[in-house]
Amino acid sequence: MKPRLIVLLLAPALLLFALLTVYPLVRVLLLAFTATEHGFAEARFVGFENFVELQEGRAFRRAAWNTVAFALMATISELLLGLALALLLDRAFPGRRWITLVLLAPYVLSTIVVGAVWRAWFHYDIGFLNSVLRSIGLPGVPWLFDPNLALSSIVLVDVWQATPFCFLILYAGLRAIPPELHEAARMDGAGAWRRLRDVTLPLLAPYLLVAGLMRTVDSFKLFDKVYAMTGGGPGNATETLSMHVHRLAFRFFDIGLASAAALVMVVVAGLLAALYARQIMRPPA
Amino acid sequence: MTAGMNERPAGPLRIALALFVAGLFALPLLWMLATSVKPVGEYMASPAALLPQAPTFEHYVAIGEARVGRAALNSVIVTVGATLLALLASFPAAYALARLRFHRRLDAAFLVFVLLVKLTPPIVLAVPLYQVLRTLGLLDTLLGLILVSQIYALPFAIWMLLGFIRDVPMALEEAARMDGARLPQVMRDILIPVLAPGLAATGVLVAIACWNEFLFAFLFVQSPANFTLPTFIATRINEDETLWGQLSAIGVLASLPVLALIGVVHRALSRGFASGMH
Repeated sequence: MKPRLIVLLLAPALLLFALLTVYPLVRVLLLAFTATEHGFAEARFVGFENFVELQEGRAFRRAAWNTVAFALMATISELLLGLALALLLDRAFPGRRWITLVLLAPYVLSTIVVGAVWRAWFHYDIGFLNSVLRSIGLPGVPWLFDPNLALSSIVLVDVWQATPFCFLILYAGLRAIPPELHEAARMDGAGAWRRLRDVTLPLLAPYLLVAGLMRTVDSFKLFDKVYAMTGGGPGNATETLSMHVHRLAFRFFDIGLASAAALVMVVVAGLLAALYARQIMRPPA
Repeated sequence: MTAGMNERPAGPLRIALALFVAGLFALPLLWMLATSVKPVGEYMASPAALLPQAPTFEHYVAIGEARVGRAALNSVIVTVGATLLALLASFPAAYALARLRFHRRLDAAFLVFVLLVKLTPPIVLAVPLYQVLRTLGLLDTLLGLILVSQIYALPFAIWMLLGFIRDVPMALEEAARMDGARLPQVMRDILIPVLAPGLAATGVLVAIACWNEFLFAFLFVQSPANFTLPTFIATRINEDETLWGQLSAIGVLASLPVLALIGVVHRALSRGFASGMH
């Protein structure tokens, strides 16, 4: 192809990319080192002042901790549950495809719809969960009101919505394992547990890593779900980094501080990207 | 399905457990469907009951009067517009990338770039994007939403189409070129028909993501007349339990289109097109 043609073909995509991704990222980088009086006007360079202020601020540290705690709890639970589901469905039976589709349903829904439903489920007096608990003689749980519990409750919703994703990735991985390997291990007298440990899990490792990284990355962006269920409360018990940046920028109009916090997020995301790229680019075994 | 040939069959206990788990995962959705047709008094009196005793469509009527139709229409406009724009911009780009000579190294660079965009939290871009949209006069417009959707839709679409185009043998195009056909003609007469399933799958995944998109719609659109379904729903989530019926009805409306396309998602995920949904 002629170079001119290539440029012509790439032009629309490059234009959109430059306007919507490159420019904003560069702006964030610059704004992070400036301070303004409300809004964008008259930005002046302040060096690392914003980062110092962030690091000293309790709200930012709480948001960072919430985000990490959420990402860890959600990713690990989803991987384990997804693995259990994949192993459960790794036998032929009629209707298996339908079960797979039903399991996938939560994953394609709008997070706001999911948040609305679960907020009702978590309702202390007339929520579905507490009603079921009380009907079997247990006390109701303050799912979203208890500051020590609220984040875990949101993790529970995320587990419901995203375990199907991990399940499908791991299920595809399981089906790629040649049955002869299991056959051979069985001939050698390996029991179910040993076959899982010595055959299945090592071969599944790349799938576990990809699914885990993908979930970590998505958890790291968390906004919609928290916004729909607690708005970051009670207090700031469920405020995530995304919500914190949002509050700084669109409530307090502290653009410099918000950009600094955003830049911290980009750096962490970049580190995750490096990990992830290394894994994906490794030649298939 | 070919793998099923030498697969071991499941025992009854395993099948029962699988059904139970699937039921557990489906429960919140069934609850939403049931609540959307229950009178307010009914779901507040017996919250743990699932089956509606006296089904009613009052909530659907109520949200119709609250102009949910407008929000649904806005969602359709943004979704269709964003998907078309993503396909139109990504197809030529993917074609150029697929047919470039030195594609190996470019491949790696491109993958890293797709990843970086995918990993960038949307809130990070929000502040500068707000300025970009304001400068273009696109704040509070559906066109603005269509534009910002491209941030995630475009790299994802290019990445998916790249794989599909690479599977089309060059010989197919070369034969047409020998007959004197020019590139637009080759694209229209040969590539697009061959790639139709790939384009459709890409379009569906992009469309689902755009249909569900919340953050940008929430930040960049203030007028209720321009709300999409997710922002419309978000304004109705509050402490008031009497609205659960209406909320569920909107939820059902917003979920039906994506649930209808779940087969496409299933196929894409099973084949490793794992990114791009959230």
